[in-house]
Amino acid sequence: MTAHNDFNDYIDAKEGWVDRRIFWDQEIYEQELKQIFAKSWQFVAHDSMLPNVNDFYTTYMGEDGVVVARQKDLSVKVFLNSCPHRGNKFCYADDGNTRSFTCNYHGWSFGIDGKIGALANEHVYDKGDIDKEKWGPRQARVDSYKGLIFATFDPEAPSLEEWLGDFRWYLDMMLDGDGSGTEFIGGGIKSYVNANWKFGVENFVGDAYHALWNHDSGLKAMNNGEGFGQAVTEGSYHASMNGHGWEFGTDGFADVIIMGRPKWTEYVQNVLKPQMKERLGELRSTIYGSLASVSLFPNCSFLPGIQTFRVWLPRGPRKLELRTWTIVKKSMPDEIKQEINIGCMQTFNPAGVLEMDDGENWEGNTSVNKGYLTRQEKLHYGCGINRQIEHEELPGTIYAGQFNDANQRQFYQRWADLMNADSWNDIPTRYTPRYSGKSTV
Amino acid sequence: MSSTLEEINFESPSLELINEVQQFLYREARLQDTENFRDWLTMLTEDIHYWMPYRYQRYRKNAKEPTIYDQAYYNDKMEDLKKRILRTETGTCWSEDPATRAAHIVTNIEVELSNTPDEYQVYSLITVRRNMNEDEEHTMVGHRTDTLRRVGGELKLAKRKIILDQNIFMNKSLNVYL
Repeated sequence: MTAHNDFNDYIDAKEGWVDRRIFWDQEIYEQELKQIFAKSWQFVAHDSMLPNVNDFYTTYMGEDGVVVARQKDLSVKVFLNSCPHRGNKFCYADDGNTRSFTCNYHGWSFGIDGKIGALANEHVYDKGDIDKEKWGPRQARVDSYKGLIFATFDPEAPSLEEWLGDFRWYLDMMLDGDGSGTEFIGGGIKSYVNANWKFGVENFVGDAYHALWNHDSGLKAMNNGEGFGQAVTEGSYHASMNGHGWEFGTDGFADVIIMGRPKWTEYVQNVLKPQMKERLGELRSTIYGSLASVSLFPNCSFLPGIQTFRVWLPRGPRKLELRTWTIVKKSMPDEIKQEINIGCMQTFNPAGVLEMDDGENWEGNTSVNKGYLTRQEKLHYGCGINRQIEHEELPGTIYAGQFNDANQRQFYQRWADLMNADSWNDIPTRYTPRYSGKSTV
Repeated sequence: MSSTLEEINFESPSLELINEVQQFLYREARLQDTENFRDWLTMLTEDIHYWMPYRYQRYRKNAKEPTIYDQAYYNDKMEDLKKRILRTETGTCWSEDPATRAAHIVTNIEVELSNTPDEYQVYSLITVRRNMNEDEEHTMVGHRTDTLRRVGGELKLAKRKIILDQNIFMNKSLNVYL
């Protein structure tokens, strides 16, 4: 038992409830920055955002600003975007290409590797005043999985491969359908939502349920006036491990059709699925494109078939910054990439006909908790609580039926496990991987 | 989309034309404010391109113009705009009931003649004040470059490029046209 709260008091995955204070309290939020964001592997950039030596991109891990930079040897470094002299950010651009950064305040410069270079008027320092090697901004551990670049500031964290675990089996549908790799369409859209960051993540980790009701108008707009119809519960699942979750059907095309781009649907049917079937097998080629949504713990999400890819950056307990991109396969013809770009953006960005309806809900979910009594009331996460199954082919903790709160429960369980842990050894093993040390292709 | 020297027609537009363009933009703004989206569509050419590209903050040395192949808030043709409007007509667009209250304020209107007869380049600033739900109020500012074309005697909007001021779009949704 640790000095801080026992966070198992805030969630109960067996009974199926979550305490609303985790979406509101500043103190819990500060603990998240320390226990979740200073420890977890987090998605920071896609390889394609940094194609050339000296390319950089700035983002956040928790509320810690970082620079993601392509090195001379094509490796990637991630370091804190804060000058060790008085603390100011030394890079104020979203992305670009540069050999060095210079802090505006006193003119300290930093190489693309994050090491301290020349100081303006360096002669004011005597020999021995500063050990530049020692004083450079803190560097993160960096690793990547099939184009996705991840970083963690915790030297004790398990390897990225272990962190992702069997989830790689699922990620390969998105990242490795034909061996050609993926890329992001140019640019990106950033927006604020006055909501707790976890509402975005949990929506994508498992909430197929909301789509039927909340997105009826958006779907009808994109699909010639036709909605989802009744929820189909047969042949669909929740799969979860290490807090990551993929909820999916096996209809094969529902998410593809939401894009409203017939050329994309045709391409999925005639090119993409046959390639995937050959490389990843029948089951995965069937899952891809079905009604589905995905989150990687702690704060990265995407939609296979709609191709939106995003992170939910925490900006205090009651605000998040959403960064969205469109992900395509490198091997796709330019015409198909543009079809995806347009269809994805019409559905998922602040102006998207589906996304527009989500932010409204999450802001409401968050702001009601200013009521003292309201935030003492628990939230219900009990859908499908007795539906756990074993599945021969599907790795992970599997629940039958994608209309389910199972992945959300596992997400919050992982959240509590990390919030409680003083060391990585304190974290309970909730699932034993099948693909440990093995490729998932 | 700024014109090259060869393309600019340095003749001054007539006061009549300036007045006509202003009235066109105000009418468009009113149709937006009153949610008369189908009537608004009749003010656009069939080959409309309605474009609001992504916005990044970059060093001056790294400045880069967005292209239509990059990500965008809007990158719409007529069929795409019709889809957006269909959403508000389904009767299940819960977030628009109660309705958003929007004021489209058009200013800084500047009309340039072009070397194509019956096509004008029009610059304007669009400020949308949006009030919604109990007490939420948002302001969004866009710099617009429009191409207006005279079709059968009537002005129509053929192209619109909107550059947003905000680097991070500071609201949960963009449910109004800028």
